[in-house]
Amino acid sequence: METNNKKSIGKMLIGTWNTRTIVAVAIGVALFGVLMVYGGIKVFTNTSLTSAMVVVAVVAAMFGPLPAAVTAGLGNVLADLIGGWGFWFDWSIGNFVLGFFTGLIPIFGARIEDGIFTVKHAIWYVVCVLVGNILAFGVVTPILTYVFYSSELTITWMQAFSAIISDGIVLIVVGLPLLFFLANRNAKKNNLVKED
Amino acid sequence: MDLTKRLFINIIPGTTFLDKLTGKTKIRLFFLLVLILIATWDMRILAPVCLIGIIGLISIRPNPKTVMGLTVFIVLVNLFNLFLIWVVTPDYGASIVGGSTLLLRLTDRYIITAETLWYFLTRFTKFMATFFVSLTFIQCITPSEMAAGLYANGISYKISTIVSIAFRYIPEIARDFSDIKISMQARGMELDSRKTSLWTRLKQNVMILAPLIIVSFDRVGNIADAMDLRGFGRGKKRTYYAEHEDTKGDKIVAVINVLLILAFVAILIGRIFFPGTYQVWAPWINA
Repeated sequence: METNNKKSIGKMLIGTWNTRTIVAVAIGVALFGVLMVYGGIKVFTNTSLTSAMVVVAVVAAMFGPLPAAVTAGLGNVLADLIGGWGFWFDWSIGNFVLGFFTGLIPIFGARIEDGIFTVKHAIWYVVCVLVGNILAFGVVTPILTYVFYSSELTITWMQAFSAIISDGIVLIVVGLPLLFFLANRNAKKNNLVKED
Repeated sequence: MDLTKRLFINIIPGTTFLDKLTGKTKIRLFFLLVLILIATWDMRILAPVCLIGIIGLISIRPNPKTVMGLTVFIVLVNLFNLFLIWVVTPDYGASIVGGSTLLLRLTDRYIITAETLWYFLTRFTKFMATFFVSLTFIQCITPSEMAAGLYANGISYKISTIVSIAFRYIPEIARDFSDIKISMQARGMELDSRKTSLWTRLKQNVMILAPLIIVSFDRVGNIADAMDLRGFGRGKKRTYYAEHEDTKGDKIVAVINVLLILAFVAILIGRIFFPGTYQVWAPWINA
């Protein structure tokens, strides 16, 4: 199970957009959208303790930053489409940023598909999630809210605060065990290597 | 209401006027209406667009039961959101509509003003309009038409494919979800939210979520292989079976779309060059 293809950082950031990635991102988008609308427990207006971010963690671990970012961003748009609470592209872009940061873990050497996910990767994952979360909902979304909707920022700040807390909790408390579980499962599965 | 019914999407094209338009036109019309709905807080624009949404929805003759169930659900969600805003900032109308005409005083903090109610009405209309327009769009477009339409509007076909697979996959999630839920209940899990604490509900959420995610991502390989075998991703361009030539309806809607673009530009110019003191227009306030 030696994957010896050392890819450049730039390529890893973009990811390989083959059919597998496209299908995985598509399914991730659908899951994210549905979970965001129906799989949450309400915390504050328009934000809830949504399990959707876990999907992003899985895509991130398997395909890297840009696929994870697209999953989160398009997933949020899809959620807006079926949720009926209006379109909030500021939040979609915030989720895009968070997805991108969550997706940085393969760069630190984690490979869920091959069963490689150690404590070191877990620590990097937590750091990425925290930084991404604060940057996405603490900086990017409020700025965009101001630019797009020029609306009262008090509520946005409160929403941002609860989003940072709830997404952080979901990504770390639920996402981390799931990543360990997936890595373990993939490591055990078999020793066949798929030829490209 | 049953989740499988709520997450219903259209796979066979219908026969009404909106159904017969090309994917390209449907997407343009939808996108422009959403842009206008985002850009404005003016009841004089929101109310007509909401009406257009309702007329559009009725014109495609959807299943009345599904639509009613969904509408009631969305109305409740939006009312609850409005209530939360009121709890946090009872005098919200003062900052956003401009004024606080007292109607009812519950306590010193919790007051109801005409401006806040007007803002809530505007906000409610705005979101219901978005909901009706979105629902009409979802109900009159098929996943293939969506991909074809996005591609015709200049979006890379790989992104178009992502959107159309995601859209197509929604009912599968609903099905998987109810399967998992039933099998969990069969093992004795209590899913009634009145009988369980928040922490138990969280744990249960995870217990349903994990199989759902694993089952879904296990399918990736199969679907990708099937697509590869059919030659997906070989060429730089592609054509779509679902895209057809413009009909008479498309030409009519194309004119409407141009008018919508002009309206959108007018709204933007109004907001950038003649911003009122307050964001939300109200008939009795001269800003």
